[in-house]
Amino acid sequence: MSCHGPQKQKGGLRMDSAEWLAKGGKNGPVLVPGKPAESKLLIAIAYKDEDLQMPPDEKLPADKVAILAQWVEMGAPFPLATQPITVSRHKKRTIRDEDRQFWAFQPVANPAPPAVKDAAWAKNDVDRFILAKLEAEGLTPAPEADKRTLVRRAYFDLWGLPPSPEDVDAFVNDKSADAWDKLIDKLMSSPRYGERWGRHWLDLARYAESDGYRQDAYRPNAWPYRDYVIRSFNDDKPYDRFVMEQLAGDQLEPGNPDVLIGTAFLRHTMYEYNQTDVRAHWQTHLDDVADVTSDVFLGLSMGCAKCHDHKFDPILQTDYYKLQAFFTPMIQQHEMPLMTPAERAKYDAAMKNWETKTASLRAEIDKIEGPFIKKAGVGALKRFPQDIQDLCNKPAAERTLYEEQLVQLAMRQVYGKQTGDPKVSGADKDKHLALVRKLGEFDDIKPKPPLMAFVATDIGPKSPPTHVEGNPKKEEVQPGYPVVLDGKGLAVPEIKPTDDSTGRRLALAKWLTPPPPPPPPRVMANRVWHYHFGRGLVGTTSDYGKLGDRPTHPELLDWLTTKFVGGGWRIKPLHKLIMTSATYRQSSARPAPEQAKLKDPDNKWLWRFPSHRLDAEQIRDAMLAVSGELKLDAMFGPAVDPVQGKRSIYTKAQRNVRDPLLDAFDLPESFGSVGERNRTTTATQSLLLINGDATLKRAEMMAGRLAGMKLKDAAETVKTAFELAYGRPPTDPELQASVDFLGKRSAIESVATGETAKPVAPSMANPEDVLTTDDKPVVKTMPHMGTQAVYVRDARPDDMLKLASPGQMPTEDFTIEAYVLLDSLYENANVRVIAAHWDGKNGNPGWSLGVTSTKSRFEPQNLILQLSGDAKGGNEVIPSDFKLDLHKTYYVAVSVRLKDTSDKGITFYVKDVSDMDAVLKSVSVAHKFTGPINGGKAPLMVGGRGDGTAHGWDGLIDEVRISKAALTKAELLFNDGKPKPGAVVGHWQFEDTPGIFKDLVGVQKDMAKNKLAGGAAAYVAATRKPAKGGDDKHPAATPTAKADRALVDFCHVLLNSNGFLYVD
Amino acid sequence: MGWQPMPQQMNNKTSIPGLPHHSTPASRREFLAKSGAGFGALAASYMLAKSDTARGDADEIAGMKGKQPGSAVNPLAARQGHYPATAKSVIFIFLEGGPSHIDLFDPKPTLNELSGKPLPDSFGTLITAMGESRSPLLASKRQWTQAGKSGLWMSDWIPHHHTIADDIAVIRSCVQDGINHSGGVCQMNTGSILAGRPSLGAWTTYGLGTENQNMPAFCVLTDTTSQVVNGPRNWGAGFLPAVYQGTKLQGGASAIANLNTPASVGEARQKAKLDLLASLNKQHLAGRPEQTELDARIKSYELAFRMQAEAPEVIDLAKETDATKALYGLDAKQTETVGRMCLQARRMVESGVRFVQIYHGAGSKWDAHSNIERNHTELCAQMDRPVAGLIKDLKSRGLLDSTLVVWGGEFGRTPMSEKGNGRDHNPTGFTMWFAGGGVKGGQTIGSTDELGLRAVDQKMHVHDLHATILHLMGVNHEKLVYFHKGRPERATMNEGEIYRRITTG
Repeated sequence: MSCHGPQKQKGGLRMDSAEWLAKGGKNGPVLVPGKPAESKLLIAIAYKDEDLQMPPDEKLPADKVAILAQWVEMGAPFPLATQPITVSRHKKRTIRDEDRQFWAFQPVANPAPPAVKDAAWAKNDVDRFILAKLEAEGLTPAPEADKRTLVRRAYFDLWGLPPSPEDVDAFVNDKSADAWDKLIDKLMSSPRYGERWGRHWLDLARYAESDGYRQDAYRPNAWPYRDYVIRSFNDDKPYDRFVMEQLAGDQLEPGNPDVLIGTAFLRHTMYEYNQTDVRAHWQTHLDDVADVTSDVFLGLSMGCAKCHDHKFDPILQTDYYKLQAFFTPMIQQHEMPLMTPAERAKYDAAMKNWETKTASLRAEIDKIEGPFIKKAGVGALKRFPQDIQDLCNKPAAERTLYEEQLVQLAMRQVYGKQTGDPKVSGADKDKHLALVRKLGEFDDIKPKPPLMAFVATDIGPKSPPTHVEGNPKKEEVQPGYPVVLDGKGLAVPEIKPTDDSTGRRLALAKWLTPPPPPPPPRVMANRVWHYHFGRGLVGTTSDYGKLGDRPTHPELLDWLTTKFVGGGWRIKPLHKLIMTSATYRQSSARPAPEQAKLKDPDNKWLWRFPSHRLDAEQIRDAMLAVSGELKLDAMFGPAVDPVQGKRSIYTKAQRNVRDPLLDAFDLPESFGSVGERNRTTTATQSLLLINGDATLKRAEMMAGRLAGMKLKDAAETVKTAFELAYGRPPTDPELQASVDFLGKRSAIESVATGETAKPVAPSMANPEDVLTTDDKPVVKTMPHMGTQAVYVRDARPDDMLKLASPGQMPTEDFTIEAYVLLDSLYENANVRVIAAHWDGKNGNPGWSLGVTSTKSRFEPQNLILQLSGDAKGGNEVIPSDFKLDLHKTYYVAVSVRLKDTSDKGITFYVKDVSDMDAVLKSVSVAHKFTGPINGGKAPLMVGGRGDGTAHGWDGLIDEVRISKAALTKAELLFNDGKPKPGAVVGHWQFEDTPGIFKDLVGVQKDMAKNKLAGGAAAYVAATRKPAKGGDDKHPAATPTAKADRALVDFCHVLLNSNGFLYVD
Repeated sequence: MGWQPMPQQMNNKTSIPGLPHHSTPASRREFLAKSGAGFGALAASYMLAKSDTARGDADEIAGMKGKQPGSAVNPLAARQGHYPATAKSVIFIFLEGGPSHIDLFDPKPTLNELSGKPLPDSFGTLITAMGESRSPLLASKRQWTQAGKSGLWMSDWIPHHHTIADDIAVIRSCVQDGINHSGGVCQMNTGSILAGRPSLGAWTTYGLGTENQNMPAFCVLTDTTSQVVNGPRNWGAGFLPAVYQGTKLQGGASAIANLNTPASVGEARQKAKLDLLASLNKQHLAGRPEQTELDARIKSYELAFRMQAEAPEVIDLAKETDATKALYGLDAKQTETVGRMCLQARRMVESGVRFVQIYHGAGSKWDAHSNIERNHTELCAQMDRPVAGLIKDLKSRGLLDSTLVVWGGEFGRTPMSEKGNGRDHNPTGFTMWFAGGGVKGGQTIGSTDELGLRAVDQKMHVHDLHATILHLMGVNHEKLVYFHKGRPERATMNEGEIYRRITTG
C-alpha cells in the first residue's frame, strides 16, 4: 500500500479504493473483473511475467494469490466501495537468529593479541594483530619511516598543519627514547588538535551555516556548535557523554548552555524558506534526523527502510519509524538565548528595566506598526493551503501537538515577513520615525541582543504520534530500537518525561552509551582508525550492513573498541595507542613486494603506510602556514571569509556558495553525513592551483617571508623554502634544479623587461593589509548571482575602487545601479557608501548612494541618496525607506530627475535577489535640492567616497552602472534594459574578462584600486591593529626585503607540487 | 594559445591512440598494482560489460562493488554502454523558471471557455507555491495551429518551432514532485527534490566517460549572469567523485575558470614554472613507486593545459559561416544570446562533449507569476528561432541521429491565474519535447486533463525521463550503480521506467 496508496502511485497505480483500482495504472487497467488470467494485477502477483512481478521483493504465498484470484473471479467486489480501505502491511521480513549472527551485530569481543613470529617488530599490541595477518599472508611490514617523515605525518594528522622547520629540527634532534611519545602528547594537548579532529565530526554532523535551497539564508547562530565540537575534542570529552549531548543535551542538563548546544546536531537540516507543503517539509526534517542518527552512531544506513523493509540488511520499515519516534516530539528552537541561568537573569533584569522605561513609547510605536505588521503576516499566511491557514488561525490550545509543530514551521515564514522593517507608510510615517528615534535614545540601557541558541528541544512532555509514512491510518509507532540490535526484540526504552520534554531522545542516547549495543563504540573506534590511515578497518565507516565492507582485522577492531570503552570512551588514548604502533610508523615509500602485488595491491593489510593527499582544509591551512599568514591565535567566534587568514574550519560554511579551493578539493557538501571524503584528482584542481589567485598570493607572501630572512644565497633560500613546504631539505638534484630555476628565471626577467627583477614582495607589516597591496582588488562570488564582485572589508580604503579622473559624469538627471551585499552597519553615524562622485566635503557638489548606520536619524539600514551642492548652499539626504537586510544580495537603483521636485522626482528600486518571490519594489519621493551635483574632479568611487577614510562599504558590490538619464523601470539593468544610446556613462562588472576594472561602455573609464596616499595611508596604519599572525612556531609575515619574481615563482611551484600536497 | 605539454616519458607500446596522456598497463599485474595503489579502485567497465540479465540480487550487487565503471585509471575514458546507443551526446535546453505548456504545446479550449471562473471543485484540493489555487482560470490568448506533416499543435509564440514539428516528440504528460523552483530544478537535474545527489550529466559521464579528453565531459552554459536556482550543485557530482561534475563555461577567452595563465605571469614564466614543477614531481614520484595517484596529478596538469588550448577553440564561433550564424539568430539582438549558446552546444557535441546543458532564463526568468503575456512573448522570441536552428543544423550535418536534444523547464504553469495576469508553478502536468538520438519525431504523447492542470495519461515522471535519456545513451538505468554508504545508488533512485513510445511512436 505504500507504493500504490495515497502518498505514492508507482506506475500511476493507486490501490486503496475501488475507484482507483478500477482506473488502473498509467499503462491501463489492472483488473478485468471475472477474468483473473487477463488481469495484470494477478499476472504480477503470480510472477507470471518476468518484467512485471509484484510485490517486487518477494512473491506472495500461493494461498494468498489464490484468494485474490478467486476475488477477481467473483467480479472484484469492494465491501466499502467508496471508503479507502486500510490493509495492514504484509510482513515481508522478520528478523531471524541468522540475521543476528552477522558480524556487525555481534557483541564486542576482547580477543588476546595473537602471537607473531617477528615479535621484535611489534611495538605494542596493535602491531601484533597487524603483523599476524601479514605473516599469515606471507607479507612483511615496511621499515620505519625516517623522523622527518614521521613528524610531518603526525602534525598533519593531529593538527592538520605542517610542522615548522623548528618543529622538525626539535623532533629530529630529540634522541631520547620517548621522543615520539612526547611529540604525540604535545600535539594532542594543543588547541590545534580540536581544530583538526573537530572538523571530522562536522563532516559527520553535516554541519553548515546556511539553509540550503534557493534562498540559502545564512544561519548567523550556527557557529557556536562548531566551537563546542572543537572544545569537546580538545577536552577529550568522553564520547559517550558527547553522544548524549548531541542527541539530548537539552534533556541531559537543562539550563546549561554548554550542554544544550550539542543538540544543534539535530538542527543542521536544510530549511526551505517558501515551502507551502508544510507536512512534507516537516517530515523531511524528521527523516533527516533519523538518517543522520543511524549513519553516525549505528553505522547503519537505514534510509532504505523509510519506504520498505531493507532489501539487504535486517532492518524493518518499522525499525526506521521506531527510531524516528524518538525525534517526533522535537521542535526547532528559535527563542532560547544561549546563556547560563545567571546570565539570563542579568539579561532579563536589564531588559525589564529598558522595557519599563520605554513602555509607553513602545506602545505608541506598536499602535502605528501593528496594522502594517498584521498586513505582512496575513499576506504571508495566505500562500499556504487552506487547511494550514486554518491551523494557524486556530487557538493554540485547540491544536494537537502535531498541528502545533506544523504551525511553528509555517509561522517561520510568516514571522520572516513580519520582522525587520514594518514599512510604515501614510499619515503616521513621520510620527513613527520620530518615535523610533526617541526610542533609540534608550539604547544605552538596552542589553545587547543575546545569541539565540541554534538547538532543538521537545514540544512538551507528550509526543505527537509517529506513523509509517504513507500509512497514517495505521496504529501509532512507539519509540524503540532496531529489532536486530535489542536482543530478543523485546527491550522497551525507559522513557521518563519531564515538565517540558518527553525524555525520548535521552532514552535513545542512554541506549547508545554504556552499556551500549555493539555498534556505537565500534563504529567510533573504527572512525578514529580511518582518519589516521585514510581507510578504516571497516572501509565503509558509516555502513556496517551486508553491502558494506567486512573488517580487514575484526579482532583488532574489537580489541581497540574494548580499549576505547575501557578507557572511559576517551579518544586521545586511542590516538596514542595507534600512533605509537610500529604499524603507524611504517614507511610509505616502500616498493610493493611481489606477494603484496598479488595478494593485497590495495594495501588493506598495511604492509606499508598509505600516503595520501591532504584534505581541502589542510591544503589551504598549510599554504597560509608556510606563507606566514596563518592566524592561529584567532580561534572560535563567528565565521569569517577565507581572505582573513583564520584556519579553514572558521570560514563560512554556506551550502550553495563555496570557497573554490575547498570545493575543488572535496570539502563535503553538508547535505548529509559524510564518513569518508572523496579524494579526487581533477584538471580543475590543477587550473586552480597554477592559475588561481589564492595560490599566487600565498606564493608572493612566502617569497616575501623568505626574502625577509636575509638568506645568504640561492642555495640557502631553496633549502629554507623546502623546509617550510616539505619539512625537509632538498635532495641534491632538487637543489640543483631549483637553483638553476632561480638563476634562469631571473635572466628571463631581465631579457623580458630590460631590467633586473622587480621587487614585488609586499612590505607592510600586517598580513591582512598585505593581501591587497598588489594591483588586484579582493573579490568574492556574489551569492545568488554567481558573478565576481568587489569585496570591501569593513570600509578598508585600499579595498575600494576609484576612477581618479571621471571625466564626463552626470550633471543633471542620473541613475545609479548596483548589486550589493552588506555585512555590517556603522556604529556611529557614518554611511556605508555603495558609490559616490563627491569628495565628501560639504560645500562641494556631488552625490553619494549608501546605507545608513545604527545611529542614523533616518533609521538604520536605510538606502539613501545624498546630494551635495556648491558653496552657495544646499544639500539634501533623500531616504528611500527601503531597509537592506545584512548578508543578502540586493539589486538597488536610484533614478533622479534633478529638476523635478514633485513626489515623482526621485525613484528608488530594490529587489531581494535571494528571494524568488520578492518583486522589484520601487518608491518615488520628492526632493527640494536641484543641484549642482556634478562632483567635478572628485574621484568616482565604488565602496567609499572622498579619500575613502570615513564612509565605506562592508561587503560586496557588483555590476555598478551609471547613466546620465533618469532611467525608466524597463530600462534598468535588473530588467536587462537597454537605455538609449549614450545614456550609460559607465558600467563595471568586475569580471576577469574583459578585466576587473574595465568599463564596458565608456572611454577611459577603467577603474583602479584606491591607492593610499599620505594621509589615507596614515589613517589605515592608525586604525589597523598590528597583526598577531602566527605563533612562535608559525611566525607571521614580517617586514620583508625585496623578493624577486623568480622567487615568487619558485614558491608557487612548491605550493603546486606533489611533495607539498601529499603526506608520506 | 597556452603552454604546450611537455614530451611524454612514455613507453609507446602502452599508449592508447588518441589518449597520449593515459598509459595502459602492460600486464594485469601492473594494472592491479596501479589501480590498487591509486584511486583505491579497480577494473573498468566490469559492470557495464555484464550482460543485461534480470535485476541483481544482493550478492551480485555486492560483487559489483569496486568495479564501478568510472573507477578505472582514467575515469573519463570513453566506454560502451549496456547495449547499442542511439544517442552519443545530449543537449538539454533548460527553460529555467517553468514555461507555460498550455500556452505553447498543449491547447486547452475548455480553459478559455471557463476563463474567469474558479477551478471546478471536481479538481479537488491542491497545494500551490503562491497559494492562489482558487484564483480565476486564465484563458490562453494564443492562436493555435497544427504544424508539419505530423500536425503537432503549437502556438503562435513559437513560429520557428512549427518548422521542426516533424523532428520532435512532444510529451504533454510530464510530472515531477517539487512545487518550488529549488526542489523542481534539483529534481529535474538530480532525480530528487532534496539536495545531495549527482546530476544526470554526472551519472552519464560516470557511466560512459567522454570522447574528447581535452574538453570537460559535461559542459554548462547560462544566458545571464544570474545564478541558476541552487547554484552549481545542479551540475554537481553529489556523492560521485568530483571528476564527473559539470563545468560551467564562461564567455570569452577564459572559457573555464582559471583556464588562462594570468596576464601578470605571462607565458614565459608559466612555462618555466611548469618545467620545474614537472621536474620536482618526477623526482618525488621516483621514490614512491606504484603510487599512481601522484602520476595522475602530474597528468592533470597536462590535461589542464590541453584544455587551455582546445576549449576556447571549441566555443569560438569565428569559423562558422554567416548563414549558419543567421540560422541560429546570431544576426538579431533578441536571439543572439540563446543562438550563441545553441551554436556552441553544436560545436561541443561535434567535438565529442558528452553532455551539454543550456540554461535559458537563468535565475528563473520564465517564472511568470504576473504578466505572462509580456514575460513569455519576450522569452519565447529569444529562444524559438535559435532552438529551431539548432535542430535544423544538427540535422543537416548528420548529427541529429547521434545527438539527443531535450527541451523543458522544471515544471509548467497553472491554468489558474495569479496576480490577475500570471500563472503559478505546475509540477503536476507539463510539456517537454525531445528530438534526435533515436527519438521518433512528429508525435505527441500523453495528455493533461481538460484544463492542463494534471497529467492524466502516459505520465512521464522525472525518473522516467532520466531512465529514458540513459536508455537512449545505451545505459540501463537499473544497472548503472554507484555504491554510497552501502547502498547501490542509481540515477533513477530505484524507480523510473523507460518511456519506450518515444522511440516508436
